[in-house]
Amino acid sequence: MWQAPGAHDALIEARGLAVGYEGQVLVGDIQLQVRLGQVVTLIGPNGAGKSTILKTLAGQLAELGGCVLLCGKDLRQVSVRTRAQQLSVMLTDRVRTELLTCADIVEMGRYPYTGRLGAATPQDRQKVREAMELLQVWDLRDHDFMQLSDGQRQRVLLARAVCQEPRLLVLDEPTSHLDVRYQIELLSVLRHLAHDQGLGILMTLHELPLARRVSDWLVCIKEGQITLQGTPEQVFVPSVIDDLYDLTPGTYDALTGDVTLRVAQGAERDIDA
Amino acid sequence: MTRDARRDEATETYGAGRSTRALCVFGGLIALLTIALVANLCIGTVSVPVEQMLPILMGKFQGETAYQVIWNIRLPRLCAAALLGGALGLAGLLLQTLFANPIAGPYILGISNGAKLAVAVVMILILGDTRVMSSWMSLAAAFCGSLAAMAAVLAVSRKVRSASTLVIVGVMIGYVCSAATDVLITFASDANIANLRNWSLGSFSGINGGQVALMAIVVAAGSAATYLLAKPLGAYQLGEAYAESMGVNVRAFRIAVIIISSVLASCVTAFAGPISFVGVAVPHVARRLLKTSRPRVVIPAAFLTGSVACLLCDLIARTLFAPVEMSVSTVTAVFGAPVVIWVLLGRRRQVG
Repeated sequence: MWQAPGAHDALIEARGLAVGYEGQVLVGDIQLQVRLGQVVTLIGPNGAGKSTILKTLAGQLAELGGCVLLCGKDLRQVSVRTRAQQLSVMLTDRVRTELLTCADIVEMGRYPYTGRLGAATPQDRQKVREAMELLQVWDLRDHDFMQLSDGQRQRVLLARAVCQEPRLLVLDEPTSHLDVRYQIELLSVLRHLAHDQGLGILMTLHELPLARRVSDWLVCIKEGQITLQGTPEQVFVPSVIDDLYDLTPGTYDALTGDVTLRVAQGAERDIDA
Repeated sequence: MTRDARRDEATETYGAGRSTRALCVFGGLIALLTIALVANLCIGTVSVPVEQMLPILMGKFQGETAYQVIWNIRLPRLCAAALLGGALGLAGLLLQTLFANPIAGPYILGISNGAKLAVAVVMILILGDTRVMSSWMSLAAAFCGSLAAMAAVLAVSRKVRSASTLVIVGVMIGYVCSAATDVLITFASDANIANLRNWSLGSFSGINGGQVALMAIVVAAGSAATYLLAKPLGAYQLGEAYAESMGVNVRAFRIAVIIISSVLASCVTAFAGPISFVGVAVPHVARRLLKTSRPRVVIPAAFLTGSVACLLCDLIARTLFAPVEMSVSTVTAVFGAPVVIWVLLGRRRQVG
C-alpha cells in the first residue's frame, strides 16, 4: 500500500483532489505526490483525465475539490510569479509563432525572473544557452521556430521549460512527435534533471516501455479514479496493465514490455507497444 | 574555457545582428517621418516653400495667408495624422496579440465603427441642434462604443475557434454600425451634415489645436501603457496557457489590453472617424522590417510606421484630386488591403 512520505520533501501534493471541467468531476479522490528527484508518470487509457490532472496541478484549471500543495503551500495562495519560479510546463497545445527564433522562445522561460520590461541579463542569456545545449537545440538558436520539424519544436519547448528553472517540471506527453532516438534522448535528459539536479518531474506518457524505464513512480488512472500507484515493478505486471487498458488477459508481456497483437485468424504478431 | 568567457560568448551568439537591424529600421522610420512631416507642411493648395517654413514656425509673417494656413490648418492636421496613425498601429498590435489573429485590427473587427455609431448617437439623438459636442464627450462616447463592439467580438471569439470566422463577424458588426450611423446622419440637421459625412468616412480635416492637445495626452498615455505591457505581450504569443504558466496574470492582462486598445481606437474615431486597414497592416510591416515580433522593439516601430502611413495617406488624400479631398480611409484601404492579402497568402504557405 502506498505510504505518505514526510510532507516536507513533497514538491507537489494532491490531497483528495477532484479535477474536471465546468463543475463536472472527471477524476476524483486523487492522492499523489512528487518528491525531489523523482520522476512520476501518469498512465492510463485516452480520455481517462491524465491531462486534466496535470492542468489542475499546474494551476491552469480550478480544483473541483480537495487541494494542491506546491512546496507545502496551498496552490490557491501562491502568487503566479512564485508558482512560475517553482513549476514550469510543456503542453500539447500547438504553438504558432511569427518571426520568433528558438532562442526567443527559450528566453521566455526567464519570464518570472526578469524585470518590468523583460530585458534578459547576460546571466539570463547564459541560462538560455545552457538549457538549449542540454536539449541539443543550441545550433537552432537563430532559426525561426515555425520552420522546425515537430520533434525539434518539442525539444525547444522543453528547453524553454527547463530555462524557467523550476523545482518541478510538468510535461504533457513530452515524447509525442518524436522519433525513437529523440524519445530516448529526451527521457534520459529528464532522468538527468531528476536524479542529478533534483528536479521533480510529473508527466503523462503513452509509450509503456518508455514509461517503465524512465519512471520512479507510476500512477494508473482509469474511469475517474486512481486504480493503482507504485514502482515500475509493482505496476508493470501483466494483470495490472491488461486491466488498465482493457486488454485481453495475456496480451501484455511483462518481460519484454511488449504487447501481443492477436489477429482474427489466430495468427500472432508482435508489435512494439 | 572559464565560466566568464563562456558567458561573454553566449551574450553574442544568439540574436546577433539584431540591434544593428533595429537601429537601421528606426533610423529609416524617423527619416521617413521627418520627410512626411515636411511634405505635409509644404504641399497643398497654398504652396509654402521650404525656406519660408522655418520663419513661419518660429512665429514670423504672422499677417500672411501662409502663416494662417500652416498654423491653423496644416500643423494641427499633420499632428493628428501622426498621433492617430501611431495609435492605430498600437491598437492593431494589441488586438492581434489578444485574439491570436494576424488579421485583427480596430477597423476590421468593427470596433472603429462601433465607436462611430456611439458618437453619432450622442451627437445627433442626445445633443441635437441645441448643444455642441465637446471633444471630451465624443471621446467618452467613442470609448463606450468601442467597448460595446469589443464585447460583441469577444463573445463571438469564445464560441468560435476559427480566426477567419471571427474576422467575418467583426466586419459584419462594422457594417451594421456603419449603416446605423448613416441612417442617423440622414436625419441630422443640415448644418451638421457636411462635417458629419466627412468625419464618418474618415478624415483628418478640421482638427484644431485644442483637439490635438487632448489627443496627444490620450495617445501618449495609451502608448506608454502599451509599452509597459511589452513583457506579457511577448509571453502571450505562445498562447494563453503558456503565458499563464510563466506568471502572466491572464485575466488582468486581457482586461488591460481590451481597455488600452479601446482607448486608442476610440481616440482615432472620435477625432478622425474610422480609418481603415492601418491598424491591421502596420504591425505586420513593422515586424517584417525588424524581422522579429518581440514587442519591445515592435511597439515603437509600429507607432512610427503608423504615423508615417497616415501622414503619407493624408497627403495623397488631400492633394491627388485637389481641391477635391478624398476621405483618408479610401487611400489607406488602397495600401492596407493588399498587405492583409499578402499576410493571408504568406500564412497559407506556411501551413500547407
